[in-house]
Amino acid sequence: MSRKIILRVSIAILGIFIAIALAAPLLAPAGPYAITGKPLQAPDADHLFGTNEVGQDIFAQLVYGARITLLFGFCSALLAVVISTSVGIIIGYYGGIVDEIVCRAIDVVMPIPMFVLLIVLTTFFSPGVLQVSLLMGLLGSVHGIRIMRSQVLSVARTSFVEGAKAIGASDFHVMFRHILPNVMPLVMVKFVTTSQHMLVMGVGLSFIGMWDTSTVDWGTMIQNAYSGGGVALGLWWWILPPGIAVVGISLALALIGYSFEEKFNPRVGVNRI
Amino acid sequence: MISGKYLLQRLCYSGASFIVCLTITFFLLHLMPGDYISNYLLSLSNTLPKEIVDQFREQFGLNLPLTQQYVLYLGNILHGQWGYSYAYGQPVLSMIFGKLCWSLVLLVPATILGILIGTVIGAWSGWKSGGKKDFAVFNVMIVIRAIPEFWWAIMAVMIFAFYLQWFPLGGYASISVLSTGLDFFDVLHHALLPIILMTFFIATGNYYVMRNSMIAVIGEDYITTARAKGLDERTILWRHALKNALLPMVTITTFQCAGIIMGNIFIETVFSWPGIGYLTTQALTNRDLPLLEGIFLLDSLITIGAMLVADILSSAIDPRIRMGTDE
Repeated sequence: MSRKIILRVSIAILGIFIAIALAAPLLAPAGPYAITGKPLQAPDADHLFGTNEVGQDIFAQLVYGARITLLFGFCSALLAVVISTSVGIIIGYYGGIVDEIVCRAIDVVMPIPMFVLLIVLTTFFSPGVLQVSLLMGLLGSVHGIRIMRSQVLSVARTSFVEGAKAIGASDFHVMFRHILPNVMPLVMVKFVTTSQHMLVMGVGLSFIGMWDTSTVDWGTMIQNAYSGGGVALGLWWWILPPGIAVVGISLALALIGYSFEEKFNPRVGVNRI
Repeated sequence: MISGKYLLQRLCYSGASFIVCLTITFFLLHLMPGDYISNYLLSLSNTLPKEIVDQFREQFGLNLPLTQQYVLYLGNILHGQWGYSYAYGQPVLSMIFGKLCWSLVLLVPATILGILIGTVIGAWSGWKSGGKKDFAVFNVMIVIRAIPEFWWAIMAVMIFAFYLQWFPLGGYASISVLSTGLDFFDVLHHALLPIILMTFFIATGNYYVMRNSMIAVIGEDYITTARAKGLDERTILWRHALKNALLPMVTITTFQCAGIIMGNIFIETVFSWPGIGYLTTQALTNRDLPLLEGIFLLDSLITIGAMLVADILSSAIDPRIRMGTDE
């Protein structure tokens, strides 16, 4: 009962954030870089959340920052899930030597610390936001392949797959029309939880200075405010809005993820005999 | 007991993982525009006579074919020569080791406390799963976990250091250190807040694993058998359920010990704590590739080692766990 309400509220929050990101030019016509007021002004009617150290409107930055932060989270999660699902289905379905090779390769790649590797690669290539998110999706997919594979294995040996093969369905047809729909719940759960992870990680990376300072996203906003003394001087309006936004979206995604997981995977929930 | 073949197999995989890491760092260093000479001695290389530059190249093996350079690089890494930082000009390895002890000051107490607290609460919550109390604790943990680490840290600094002034705003010692030297209580005063935060995080991570493991164990036949025998609940919990549920914790605990660098990058950055995490942030800000690669190599060494230990330990405890039988 209360679960349902939590799920609905979370989806509503997510929807609001996406709407804000899409409607950024309408909500803040001046754009995130325009200097519209005095530096470090407290919130008032003109500046809903006050201004930052050079007089840029924090509300405008927040609204435009939502675009980058959300784009980062969803793009990398989408890529990670697509790769892990397709590779998982292929190796789980065919098995044999392909499966063996991929699994052993994963064994080798698994222990490599992806987070630091990502930092090293970004430092080297200094790519844009989209490239980093795709790179992160690529690195993040390794872990998911195994999970998808084991799920596919349990589906691939059921009688309806055998039946479909027996009446001469092509491999592609079986994988796409019979196996994929059956692993779809897990894919959904994975997508939501991965987006949450990636989004938080993206904000964290920009907090430690991944992008150049001209990029406006929530992480850079927090970093600017923190290193600029937003906390030490008690300028709460400078640092709280981006932080609360991150917390809001991350919580919403996490709760959606858990609700899905409970729905599709009863083992996580009540299991008392 | 574990077979020699299994052990050898695991060792080979770990070795292969590290070779992959080394190959990545080697090629990144070589894909960089220019070479060591023109990057390091930028001002000198234009004025120096060509013969001297060539001699340098020869001395550092930069004129060799790529394959030989690769072998040379592997040898250097194994000998502990991990290159020099661009921003500081110091050997990377000694820089990292200099920061390591400061990271450990936070990590050791936080890891021990976090594992203990997380395991206890997780076991209790899993045992009571389905109940109201478990539901409440579980939801609180979701919320704690969903809020990013650095945001907890910033909030903690804001509330406890800025408004309440219980703790200093950051750093590892007061300014008085310059005259009096490091004082244990002073460092503790600075370390307390980050340690509490890290404990908090490690505990929530462990909580999930322990709770899930406990729930899985409760569903097993031997628990039903124990109940059918008429054992009292406490004996079942302590003697039957907990022992088996602790198995995945072995892996997790080893992993947490491996999270030595990245585990606390955000907390160290927020608190300006001079450990490896903060060093990483600074290296990222300076775009100090050799230093970052050194941190990456050390982190991969630790992680790969920890995974090896975890695999061997858990297969020694539970012989059913073997590689390639995960179907």
